[in-house]
Amino acid sequence: MIEARALSKRYGEVVAASDVSFTVARGEVVGLLGPNGAGKTTVLRMLAGVLTPTAGDLRIAGHGTEGEAFELKRALGFLTGDTALYQRLTPREVLRYFGRLHEIPEDALSARIETLVSRFRLGEFADRPCGKLSAGQKQRTNIARAFVHDPPALILDEPTTALDVVTGRFLLEAFREARAAGKAILFSTHVLGDAEALCDRVVLLHRGRVLDQGSVAEICARAGARTLTDAFLARVGDEVAA
Amino acid sequence: MRLPIVLHIFRKDLVETLRDRRTVVMAFVVPALIYPLLFTLLGSVASDKRGELERTRVRVAAWGPVPSSALRAVEQQGRAEIVDRREQPPANPESEARALVSSKKVHVVLLTPSGASGASIPIRVLSDSTDVDSDAMERRVSRALTDHDAELLRQRMTALGQDAAAAKPLDVHEEDLADAARRGASLAATLLPYLLLVLVATSGFYAALDLTAGEKERGTLQTLLTAPVRSVEIVAGKYLAVLALTLAATVCNLGSIALTLSRATAAIDRAARFSLGLSSAAAIFFTVLPAALLIVAILMAVGVLARSYREGQSYLMPILILVILAGFASFLPGAELTAGTSLIPLLNVTLLVHDLLVGKAGPTQVMVVWAVSLAWAVLGIVLTARVFQTEQVLLSGEKPWRDVLAPGSRTGRGLTPGNALAFAAVLLVVNFYGSVLFERRGGVAAMILGTQLGLMLLPSLLWCRAFKAPLRETLQLRWPSGRGWLGTVLLAAGGWSVGALVWSQLLRFPGARAYTDWLGELLGKQGQLGLGAALLLVALVPAVVEEVTFRGVVLAGLRRSGSRWIAIGGSALIFGLFHINPYHVVAATVVGLLLGWVALESGSIVPSILIHLVNNGAQVLLDRVPDIAQRLNSPVTAAVALAITAAGAWLVRGSRRPAPETAEPVPVSLDGVS
Repeated sequence: MIEARALSKRYGEVVAASDVSFTVARGEVVGLLGPNGAGKTTVLRMLAGVLTPTAGDLRIAGHGTEGEAFELKRALGFLTGDTALYQRLTPREVLRYFGRLHEIPEDALSARIETLVSRFRLGEFADRPCGKLSAGQKQRTNIARAFVHDPPALILDEPTTALDVVTGRFLLEAFREARAAGKAILFSTHVLGDAEALCDRVVLLHRGRVLDQGSVAEICARAGARTLTDAFLARVGDEVAA
Repeated sequence: MRLPIVLHIFRKDLVETLRDRRTVVMAFVVPALIYPLLFTLLGSVASDKRGELERTRVRVAAWGPVPSSALRAVEQQGRAEIVDRREQPPANPESEARALVSSKKVHVVLLTPSGASGASIPIRVLSDSTDVDSDAMERRVSRALTDHDAELLRQRMTALGQDAAAAKPLDVHEEDLADAARRGASLAATLLPYLLLVLVATSGFYAALDLTAGEKERGTLQTLLTAPVRSVEIVAGKYLAVLALTLAATVCNLGSIALTLSRATAAIDRAARFSLGLSSAAAIFFTVLPAALLIVAILMAVGVLARSYREGQSYLMPILILVILAGFASFLPGAELTAGTSLIPLLNVTLLVHDLLVGKAGPTQVMVVWAVSLAWAVLGIVLTARVFQTEQVLLSGEKPWRDVLAPGSRTGRGLTPGNALAFAAVLLVVNFYGSVLFERRGGVAAMILGTQLGLMLLPSLLWCRAFKAPLRETLQLRWPSGRGWLGTVLLAAGGWSVGALVWSQLLRFPGARAYTDWLGELLGKQGQLGLGAALLLVALVPAVVEEVTFRGVVLAGLRRSGSRWIAIGGSALIFGLFHINPYHVVAATVVGLLLGWVALESGSIVPSILIHLVNNGAQVLLDRVPDIAQRLNSPVTAAVALAITAAGAWLVRGSRRPAPETAEPVPVSLDGVS
């Protein structure tokens, strides 16, 4: 469902991502892990069609960027951790706006919005300006926004950053439900506990390159570590030492 | 470009902007309050001051042997009181007088040197022109002395048995021909252009900043880019939102200023009266519109380069200063709308609004300013679109000007709609400047040849080369089919008379006759050019060159919008705008629609060249045969011409030879410009 094939991105002399390849199947959650500056956001932005790769190829639900950018974006829900929302619009208005940009017919859109408001428990603040919402309320609105067109693939860029435990758990539960519904989820996070709890497989990224990928157990075994955190530190530490 | 998506973005951005108190206050509330307050305050202060000066007695110092009759006249006629009388003037009268005026002890000092005697007694009137009270009182005292001087002269002449009038060979009276309304308009013409231009810029300032740098800072731009939306749709939606807000604020403020000026003018100048009628207000709004198009485009292009709202403010401040400087032109004595100044963006709008208010500008000036401003605005919009397509600018806020402006990365993709618009805008500006230069240096023939070959054909070919657009396909350099040929002949035969009929109808409107007379003179009616030269310069050269430019380069770029009607309509409108005069713009746009349609249907540039050639050639011949226009202007002729034209159109329709089509339709995009 989500395929990255030898993706690279350069900014002049700076290599932000190099030869990154992995796949995310339908009904699977894959974690993209790496320290700050590893290139996670660059890879996610390329997959979301926001950045153009310098080299390589990508597919979302079978659609590439060449001549199929719209199909690619329609197949994708993108969520970032910085809770970027229109401060002077209400959650309901944000959902309607993005629904219209996805060209969902008005009747269907109204029904879809109410479903999302109920599913992500937005009712209490759905008509309040986003600028007046808490970080957790904003992120719940944001994930509803990413789901508004019911995409088969989701790209989540550190979605639980700076959230309280309750909201973080609420979101993780929502992602599990999405996986159960057959969606492919690429999940980037700093919180390795979240990755262990949620991800079927993980991709370790460092300095723009894939260090390792596989299930948590496989990666731990290869690194000779008991936990993902130990494995992560071992691999990244090896790289830093090298 | 999908209009519904543009409208969704426009609506959302407008709503969001209108919910921003800072923007609304700065765009609507502050100006609406400031003008009445400012002018009322100024008017009230000026009026109070005038009254106070009228009521106040002039305090005068008289030093030396100032004639007592003169002092009496000053006391009585000038309502003065002598507060400082000295037999001997001080050693340094100027500095002492300055000190007295400065300490408000006296307004004016009258000084006669010791020992002055004879038939003419010198009286120096010392005042300080930088002191408002002293300056005003000096005029009152001088007037009293002048009147007393005239009275003394009359008495002396009478004593000598002479007629007093003999000493005044000229009896001069000043009278102002300007009535109150004209004086008011003149006053408004000084203030209004400046205020309007600054208003447009300040109204759009915060909205443009909020929707570009503000969105980047808040991270919402990235979210928007993940939706299935083209960058040109985002630009168009945001641009329309800022423009709508700017224009709404301008209308509100124009009303506020007009109302305020109608009340405040008399306070500033008692002999002036000002009222802005609906038609004048509409004309001014129409004139300010292209300036708004341009200013909003610049504000957005520069705003999106900033990483944050604060940085955006510092980027946009120089733009605001430039606008203020352009607006200042209305205060400059002698600044006029000329061929040269009409080409300078924003300055031309200032001068045009000024000239409209004092009744000096006509439709041609309006069209020139509109065309020039529109050309600059298109360049600004294209630049904005390019900035929006530069991912580094949108996401990281870096400022790779080289990446935004450099041609290298975007060439080689052929012509696009944005590219065609940019080409037309550049060409329009270059042609305005160039034609003025050619006309001044070498007359009509040099102007036509210079502009056509040097400023149209050459840039067209260079543009194709720069964007690696194959000439054969871009210009449709191929022969038409047999059916196309036949249709072309009929269209040429009928089309020129239809063109002549359009002109004959346009001549009913005021000003059109004067324009055609001027055009006729320009084209050699008065024998400047022979028939052969006129046909070469007015028919053949423009037919080839303008078809290469408009039905070649411009049409090829617009065709890639995927809509033939955008291509035909757009190229016709651009072709029309190049003719500047409103009547000529209308006629040329109509002809341009036909030529664009023919070029697309026939798949060849040859038919449009031939029709253009016959149309222009007929105009030259019509100018030399005075009665022919009247003869053509009959229902029978019109019916026959229309029938021939219709038959030609029927034949040309779908007459394109089957050939491999290389210009594949792509979504409307303003990319590929450099």
